Amino acid sequence: MNIDVLFNPDSVAIIGASRDPGKIGHVLLRNFIEGGFRGCIYPINPKCDEILGLKCYLSVKNIKENVDLAVIAIPAQLVPDALKECGEKGVKGAIVISGGFSEVGNVELENRLREICLSYNIACLGPNCMGVINPLTRVDSVFIPTYKMGRPKLGAVSFISQSGAIGGAVLDLMARQGFGMSKFVSYGNGAVLDETDLLRYMADDEKTRIIVLYLEGVRRGREFFEVLKGVTKRKPVVVLKGGKTAGGAVATKSHTGSLAGNAAVYEAVFKQCKATEARNLDEIFNFSKLFESQPFCSGERVGIITNGGGLAVIAADSVEDNELKLAELSNASRKKISEKVPDYVNVKNPLDLSGDAGTDRFEIAVQAMLEDSNVDAILVGVLFQTESIDSRVVSMLVEASNLKKKPMVVVCPGGEYAEVHSRILENCGVPTYTSSASAIRALRKLVDYSRFVNKK
Amino acid sequence: MKYTDAVALVKKYEIEFAEGSIVKNVDEALRVAKYPVALKVMSDEILHKSDRGCVKLNIKDGESLRRAYPELLSNAGGARVDGILVQRMAKPGLELIVGGRRDEQFGPVILFGLGGVFVEVFKDVSLRVCPIDKSDALEMIKEMRAYPLLTGARGRKPVDIEAIANLLQKASKLLYENEQISEMDINPVIAYEDGYCAVDVRVLP
Repeated sequence: MNIDVLFNPDSVAIIGASRDPGKIGHVLLRNFIEGGFRGCIYPINPKCDEILGLKCYLSVKNIKENVDLAVIAIPAQLVPDALKECGEKGVKGAIVISGGFSEVGNVELENRLREICLSYNIACLGPNCMGVINPLTRVDSVFIPTYKMGRPKLGAVSFISQSGAIGGAVLDLMARQGFGMSKFVSYGNGAVLDETDLLRYMADDEKTRIIVLYLEGVRRGREFFEVLKGVTKRKPVVVLKGGKTAGGAVATKSHTGSLAGNAAVYEAVFKQCKATEARNLDEIFNFSKLFESQPFCSGERVGIITNGGGLAVIAADSVEDNELKLAELSNASRKKISEKVPDYVNVKNPLDLSGDAGTDRFEIAVQAMLEDSNVDAILVGVLFQTESIDSRVVSMLVEASNLKKKPMVVVCPGGEYAEVHSRILENCGVPTYTSSASAIRALRKLVDYSRFVNKK
Repeated sequence: MKYTDAVALVKKYEIEFAEGSIVKNVDEALRVAKYPVALKVMSDEILHKSDRGCVKLNIKDGESLRRAYPELLSNAGGARVDGILVQRMAKPGLELIVGGRRDEQFGPVILFGLGGVFVEVFKDVSLRVCPIDKSDALEMIKEMRAYPLLTGARGRKPVDIEAIANLLQKASKLLYENEQISEMDINPVIAYEDGYCAVDVRVLP
């Protein structure tokens, strides 16, 4: 099956395109047109001649040119026939947005859909899904208007989501946080293509550097396991498993049975496959932005630089909590820093540059720790509330981070002013957090994955 | 699965198992006992032997054995008894549990944990999908919160991590190659500075 055609089609037919702005079929068509899809767009609706300025067709079979992809948003019982026509036309991929299949007990209809796709070799997403967003080719089958849900900019993270709703929320957050995305795919009921197929595709996809996976269950456990194990050798996978508590109680007679419940087995699978498990949506972002922007970590010794003693202490605690180590600064770097900072700054790790520190003092410390081979990763805690800190610190941090010498995370707790600067840092590819706890937890995950990669 | 079959199965995979024999009466028990011994009621109808007083540990001589034998039988109540297991007492050490279960999605999974309160109260266990390699086995062991107890915290003797990793690999192979097993407990396994000894096993088809 040609999965790639779902993300990179030259032409698309919107089956169920509508003139009514309140209908999904209208939003779909509009998003393709206004989103700037580069290929040909063919609306299909037997009752119209023209929608949004495009010629409308009775059926895909009436289109003379090739059609790569069909996006289908029509009542469930009409979907099999539409797919059959796609098959006869030679359409290679289909995204079935329509619901009303196995999720409401209509298993037979879904089986028919599967059989048709298999017999015509149609790579099919859904039914009951949001489908695909590819910011590069501007494929966008997510039927939510852009004013309600932002679209992320082009980047290197690809997101596979079983759930459409979670997918939508994540996309919107990604767009808002300036997070770059390579591909988004929501596969709904997974009648033809499921998580394992999509994982395999993303592993081979050169434009995807990091894979994020949202799962509620898997269909072919064993195969999923083998594929996931292979994928993490090539790129990091961040995974969030929903519904860990629900199916947890397994009726068993042995110790092992009661202890090895469903949730525990998933956790084991992720550990064994070296996938990075996130516990919630926040962690998906916290982890993947670090993986995406920072180099691998050579060890577990963290250097901490702040302009506030309290923040330094809290960050040091987080390092302990996450079983990382505080770096011991080399004599050379201690000397380098001491020479250029006031006497009242106690040059050690964690390094509190004191409340009157400005960008220059931060720069001295950051450069010294970047050079210091005793330091594997750096946390910079900036309290934007102090008198001597202003926007200049942002460009210094961006420049230092761009060197990609070692992983660097920034922590900026605070309100509006801190937030504005955090957002600029994020947009410039510097992973920024509101708390040292979340920054260090993310760093812990990078250390773990780096260790695995370095061992290979 | 019958106890004797379960023991035969773990032995087939070269898992070290405490010596013992099943007897039908006191005289036979007296003949086979190499003191100190443990006596255990063998019955398919009793799932948790120790909860029902169907296990007597550390019997040091013939006289104590004579006293314990009828008591065990009466504790078994009306349950159908296949015999009494007379097992040589394992030397004291660190109690571990090795288990397995067939997961609907992922197939056989193996479990490792510390015995007693650690598994009951703290649920301090680690799991992997079978089969596992040596590095998986070592990770399973190191992942335990109670790991310092295995390496000899607070003046304890460390246990033989290599041997336990080896045991885990063998148990995982057993689970992987025997599809009919739905659940298995090798519990307890007593770990020593040098090697280990599995004391009880239960296999559910």
